[in-house]
Amino acid sequence: MISQYRGIAPKGQLELLKILGDKLAGRTILNVNSTRAGGGVAELLHRIMPMLAALGVDGRWEVIEGDDRFFDITKKMHNALQGNEEHFTEEMWDHHAWINGRNAENLDLEADFVFIHDPQPVPLIRYKKDGHWIWRCHIDMSAPQRDVAARVMDYARRYEAAVFSVAKFALQMPIPEFIVLPSIDPLSDKNRELTAAEIEETARKFDIPPDRPMVLQVSRFDRFKDPVGVIKAYRMVKKYNDCVLVLAGSPARDDPEGEAVLAEVQNFADGDPDIRILLLPPFSDKEINALQRLATVILQKSVREGFGLTVSEAMWKGKPVIGGAAGGIPHQIVHGVNGFLVYSVEGAAFRTRQYLNNDEMLKRMGGVAREHVRNNFLITRQVGDYLSICLGVENAGSPVIDIF
Amino acid sequence: MSSEDMPGAGKPDPNPGGRFEFRECRKIIRATGKKAGNLAELMEGIRTASEGSIYHHTQEYFFKGHIIEYTNDFAEWAGRALEERVLSENLSNIDPFRHKSVESLRGELLNSIAAYREKFGSPRRVLPGEEFHFQESVTIVFPAGFRALNLAEFLMAMRFVGSQSIYYHFYEGRRRLEGMDDFSKWIEKAMGLPALAAKIRAIDPFMHSIEGVRDQIVKFVEEALREEIEVSSI
Repeated sequence: MISQYRGIAPKGQLELLKILGDKLAGRTILNVNSTRAGGGVAELLHRIMPMLAALGVDGRWEVIEGDDRFFDITKKMHNALQGNEEHFTEEMWDHHAWINGRNAENLDLEADFVFIHDPQPVPLIRYKKDGHWIWRCHIDMSAPQRDVAARVMDYARRYEAAVFSVAKFALQMPIPEFIVLPSIDPLSDKNRELTAAEIEETARKFDIPPDRPMVLQVSRFDRFKDPVGVIKAYRMVKKYNDCVLVLAGSPARDDPEGEAVLAEVQNFADGDPDIRILLLPPFSDKEINALQRLATVILQKSVREGFGLTVSEAMWKGKPVIGGAAGGIPHQIVHGVNGFLVYSVEGAAFRTRQYLNNDEMLKRMGGVAREHVRNNFLITRQVGDYLSICLGVENAGSPVIDIF
Repeated sequence: MSSEDMPGAGKPDPNPGGRFEFRECRKIIRATGKKAGNLAELMEGIRTASEGSIYHHTQEYFFKGHIIEYTNDFAEWAGRALEERVLSENLSNIDPFRHKSVESLRGELLNSIAAYREKFGSPRRVLPGEEFHFQESVTIVFPAGFRALNLAEFLMAMRFVGSQSIYYHFYEGRRRLEGMDDFSKWIEKAMGLPALAAKIRAIDPFMHSIEGVRDQIVKFVEEALREEIEVSSI
C-alpha cells in the first residue's frame, strides 16, 4: 500500500513512515469521531485506516451514536466554538455528556493511543482506562464563545495532549499542544489522475459546457463557506467575462443546518441558468475530482474555516486557488506565489477576472501549487505526523527524537 | 533548549567508515499558548520564550523552503500582520546563523524592536486573529534512504535527496558542529578534499533557500568531479 505512493510523495516521507511503522508495529491506535460520512474528518479517517494497517499498526475507528437533539447541540457547539453566539443551558451540556456516557458503554475504548476528534465525543475522556489519550480538534477556535470554550476545555485539559490544525486554533491549556496540518490523499478517487473519458462523463452529467470557463467552489452548504458571497463575486465577474459558476457540496449527517443554507443559496441564485448548484451524495469523490479538473478558476471563499482541504485538493490538480484568508487557508496559499488570498467579495471577483484573463499565470501558479501540496499536504506527511506524536507523547518533553 | 537537545546532538557520527548516510528531519510543531498582538507583547514574548521557541521562529524558518521576502517569523508577522515595513526589513536583516547562542540572537531581536519603537513609536494592535503565536518544535531525525561512498554517489544523492535532508545536514548541522555543516565536514575528512569543503562551507545559509543550497553544492561537486576526470584522462 505504501509503495503505491512511490514517485508521488517525497521519498523522505515514505522512509519516515516505514521507520515509524516498525517502531509502532502491533500497537493500537483508536480514532473516535461523530460521523462516518461527510466532512473532512471522516474522509481523512477513511484514508488513514488502510495506511496504518499497511504499516503494521493496528488502527481502529469508532463512531459515536447520537439522537437528533445531540447533533443539534453539537452543531450549536461547533458554531459557538467558531465564534457564533449560541445559547447553552445546563440541560444541553447534560445531554451531551449523557450521550457520550451511553456511547462509552458500547464502544471499545481500549487502545495504546486514542485520538478523540472534535468536541462531539470530547467527554469520552471521563471513561479513559489506559493508553495515551489525545484530543484532536479540527475546528477554528481562535475566537470562540468563551463559556462554551471553557466547558469544552474542562474536558480537553484532562487529555495527555491536544492536536490542532493551525497554531491560532490552539487553546491555552496545561498540556502539550501539537499542530498537525491536515492533508489529502493523492490516490483517493477525489485526487487520483482521471482519464479524459471520466472527466467528460462528469461534464455531461452536470451539463458543464466544455467551451466556456467554469468557476467552481466545492464545499458543504454552510454559511461559513460564504456560498452567497461566491455568487455575488460571480455576478461582478460576469459583467466582464463569460463563465459558468458551479457550487458543489455534499450533505453531512452532523450538519442539520445544511438544508436551510442550500435553500438560501438556491433562492439567491434566482434561477440563473449559468449557476449550477449541485447537492452531491456522499462519496461523490470522482465527480468532485472531475469538476476540479474541469474548472478554470477555483474559489474557497470561506469566512471561517477549519482548514479548508478543498484548497489543497484543487492545488494538487494544478489549479491555483482564490481563498478567503480564514482558518488554514493561508497555510496552503502563499499569496501571489501559488494562489491568492482574498478578504472580500470584491477581492474574489478581481482575482477571478485576473485568472480568466491570464492563461500563463494560471499555469505557472498552478504548477507551483501542485509542488507545494506534494511537499506539505499529502497524507503521507500527516500519517507521519500522527505516528511521530505517538512517539512524542511516549517521550514526553523531549524536543528531539532520533529514530535509527 | 540546551546544546544537548539540539537535533542530532550526542548521536553517532552520521558518516561511519567514510560513507555519508543522508538523514532527514521532520518538525512537529508545538503551540506554547503564548501570543502577541502588538510590539510590546511581542518583545515580552521574545524575552520570555524558550530557546527552542526562538530557534524555531528564526533558524527553522529556513525549513519552509520559500524564502522570498522575510527571513524569520517575527519579520513576516511585522510585515504581514502589523504592516510595519521598516521593522519587517530590520528584522529580516538579522542573520541567525551569525549568532553563537540563542541568547545573543534574542538580544539582537529585542534591540532591533526597541530601536524601532524608540524611533517610530508603537504601531496599532493587529486585527483579531492576526496575533503572533509563539511555537516550538519537536524534531524527528531519521535515515533518508540515501547513502554515498564516494563523491560521484554523493552528487547523485544530492540531486535526489529530499529538501528536508539538505536542511538537516546544512542548516541544522551548524548547531551540532559549531557553525560547520555535515556535507563539508565529510568532504574534508572522508574524501580529503579541503578546497571543495571550503567552497561548500562558504555558502551563506542566510542568503539561500534550501533548494538554492542544493544547487550550489551540486555545482561545486560537479566542478570538482569534472576536474578529477580531466586530470586523470591526460
